[in-house]
Amino acid sequence: MEKTNKKGFLAWFTDNWKRKPLFSTGIALLVMVILQILALGFDYASFGEWFAAFSRNWINILRNNAGVGIIALGMTFVIISGGIDLAVGSTMVAIGAVIMSLIDSGPSGLLAGLGITGIPAYIIAIAIGVLLGVLLGECTGVLVAHFGMPPFIATLGMMKICRSVTQQCMQKASPTVPKAFLKISNARIGGEIILPILYWLALAVILHVVSKHTAFGRQVFAIGSNERTSKLSGVNVRAVKRRVYALMGALVAVTAVIQIARIGSMDYANAGSGYEMDAIAAVIIGGTSMSGGRGSVVGSVLGMLILAVMNNLLNLIGVPPFLREAFKGIIVIGAVLLQKKEKAS
Amino acid sequence: MKLKMDGICKSFGSNEVLKSVGFQLSEGEICALLGENGAGKSTLMNILGGVLQPDSGEILLDGKKMKFDSPAQSLDAGIAFIHQELNLINDLPIYENMFIGRELKKKNGLLDHKRMIEETRRVFERMGLTLDPKEMVRNLDASYKQIVEISRALLMNAKIIIMDEPTTSLTDPEIEKVFTILRQLREQQVGIVFISHKLREVMEICDSYTVLRDGVMVASGSVKDVTTSDLARFMVGHDVRTEKLGSGVQRGEERLSLHGVTQEPYFRDVDLTAYAGEVLGVTGLLGDGRSELFSAVFGAESISEGEIRLGGKPVRITSTWQAKQLGIAYVPRNRKENGIIKDMSILENGTIVSWRELMRHGLLDHVRQRAQFEKEKAALHIKMGKESDSITSLSGGNQQKVVLAKWLSCEPKVLILDNPTQGVDVGAKEEIYDIILKLAKEGVAVIVLSSEAQEIIRVCDRALVMYHGAIVGEVRGETMTEHEIMRLATGG
Repeated sequence: MEKTNKKGFLAWFTDNWKRKPLFSTGIALLVMVILQILALGFDYASFGEWFAAFSRNWINILRNNAGVGIIALGMTFVIISGGIDLAVGSTMVAIGAVIMSLIDSGPSGLLAGLGITGIPAYIIAIAIGVLLGVLLGECTGVLVAHFGMPPFIATLGMMKICRSVTQQCMQKASPTVPKAFLKISNARIGGEIILPILYWLALAVILHVVSKHTAFGRQVFAIGSNERTSKLSGVNVRAVKRRVYALMGALVAVTAVIQIARIGSMDYANAGSGYEMDAIAAVIIGGTSMSGGRGSVVGSVLGMLILAVMNNLLNLIGVPPFLREAFKGIIVIGAVLLQKKEKAS
Repeated sequence: MKLKMDGICKSFGSNEVLKSVGFQLSEGEICALLGENGAGKSTLMNILGGVLQPDSGEILLDGKKMKFDSPAQSLDAGIAFIHQELNLINDLPIYENMFIGRELKKKNGLLDHKRMIEETRRVFERMGLTLDPKEMVRNLDASYKQIVEISRALLMNAKIIIMDEPTTSLTDPEIEKVFTILRQLREQQVGIVFISHKLREVMEICDSYTVLRDGVMVASGSVKDVTTSDLARFMVGHDVRTEKLGSGVQRGEERLSLHGVTQEPYFRDVDLTAYAGEVLGVTGLLGDGRSELFSAVFGAESISEGEIRLGGKPVRITSTWQAKQLGIAYVPRNRKENGIIKDMSILENGTIVSWRELMRHGLLDHVRQRAQFEKEKAALHIKMGKESDSITSLSGGNQQKVVLAKWLSCEPKVLILDNPTQGVDVGAKEEIYDIILKLAKEGVAVIVLSSEAQEIIRVCDRALVMYHGAIVGEVRGETMTEHEIMRLATGG
């Protein structure tokens, strides 16, 4: 019974806060954005100028985080299935190396050597990259599903192997990325570079639909919640697990393409390092449970945004770069504590 | 210590769970608390145990009004609650379990193992037990675990012990052991509340009974004045059939046959055949291997030797989804761990087996999914709220029906049911039996695994008895009696 408008709002608020995890995540994001707006300041000549600054800030944030954001989408499925993937950064580097070797317009370019250049080359290179991602994912999937290896260990191994092998193979190589390839990330739309953001958005929508409206998506949730019951209900648990890691691999490949196309090169030693932790943090903050069976793609997008906005906010305030990572940690811990409190109530 | 609960009312929101319920227990009395799932038994006992507080009504111990705001207060008053899922820690010895949370310490603060062992030994002597307090709980069989819980209650000077479904996981000889202990407790003037669905046991061990139905106390009295059918009638509100049902259908073609199927140490050299239209029972005592055997038939476990034939053709079943493709359906025991996915809705639990088949143009056809479930919901009379509610909102019997529903949509050729009425109340039990017989009439080969001889006799056309992994006999018609089944099941 709503006695006054205020009481009604409070009741609606607490009810949604308790029942829908996405609600609390959304509110957290809203709070972050408000703080960000305040930090941005109002020292502008006109509303138009302020809005331009605000938009440019946002486009930067979204574009810089699109790569990890895409990986967080795949990580959502992995964690919901009850697993984890620590190898994403290293796999990205391995796939990146292969793609760059293929599209290399210099003397050691593989496709150029075969006389294939331009758009056909890019298509072939990307296709092979995605295939490689799927393959690496299937390898992880086989280790986890058929050999019963804990995902933490299997992907830890993959992580070490992929990066060091890549660094070794690419020691002498320095491929040149053709300028046309850079258009994949850097082509301007309406004067702004926003393609990576669009790729992220499109994949988020597709994967959201997959998670809610395909047998595969539902089976991922089922397995994460109760693997035994799923198996006894005729679900091919092994195949679903393999497919989850294969999907992750494909998404990692997409991120590799976007990163290469953005800067025209890849630092095999450092590129992608920390991506796995950022992706996991985004997924957890977004409401997905580490124990599996519960979570959402939308939540991971919101979680990624919260991390991104917070980083930006701290930057605007002037917090030193090292400490910004500490805040990430605080938010993750806070998010999980909040999740536990919601479950208990 | 005399207990009297008077006029207890309790509501959860708009749901009135207890409507002015009364309950009495004298010292040295074993009283059965009966009722279907949802009748209010757990709520009433949770109030006695201090877990919940009544909206109105009073609790009197020896005439004195008591108020239990927490389980600790109820315990202090001398009331112990032994739950269905035993609260023992396998990796600790008995005596440490006896004192968990209330460890005895020496003056210097370290644990006083010697005193704890001594106190435990004294309680065991009082009950006439020869158990070693230092034994690891992991090594005890189910009946002794139950007995340890009872001993812990005594150690805490309980004058009233509430036992919730104490014999569900016990075999007959184990049940006898527990009953001997209960009789001793009765001698020592301890009052026991015995919550159970097993009416024959109630007749055997209890002195009195109280029946709840829909939150109201509908009957109470002395056990010697009633029969099991009276009790069943009180619980359900109408007469419950106990005569043999039997499908009365002509047996059809051979659907499933096993030849020399072996997987040590669980089962060996198993030969059997299941026919269309027949309800085949498989029974035995704990450890007979029947669950493991049919788990393997369904592809959840492997077999090392032997052949399985479906419709006469040999098949190698290596996975559950292959078994499903071949037309085998499997409703496992221990529904909570193996049958349902507690994070999912009723609709999803009821259709999980068919998700892949419900895809159209790359997406799940939710319309067909709902229609498919609606059909089974009607056929099985599932009592539920919304399809999107959590599966955990349903009673045990209705959950079991949802588990059945998910398989029936595939129109299986062979349906294996392991302990189909485990944790299901009398009314829903009958409905499940009716469903089994209807399926047999429709031509399904139904295999029922159960440890309750009564259940086997009631619903099966014939039954195989297993002992220590081998089939030791078949009973049907004249020979399908409890006595004969027990004889074979104990190896005789």
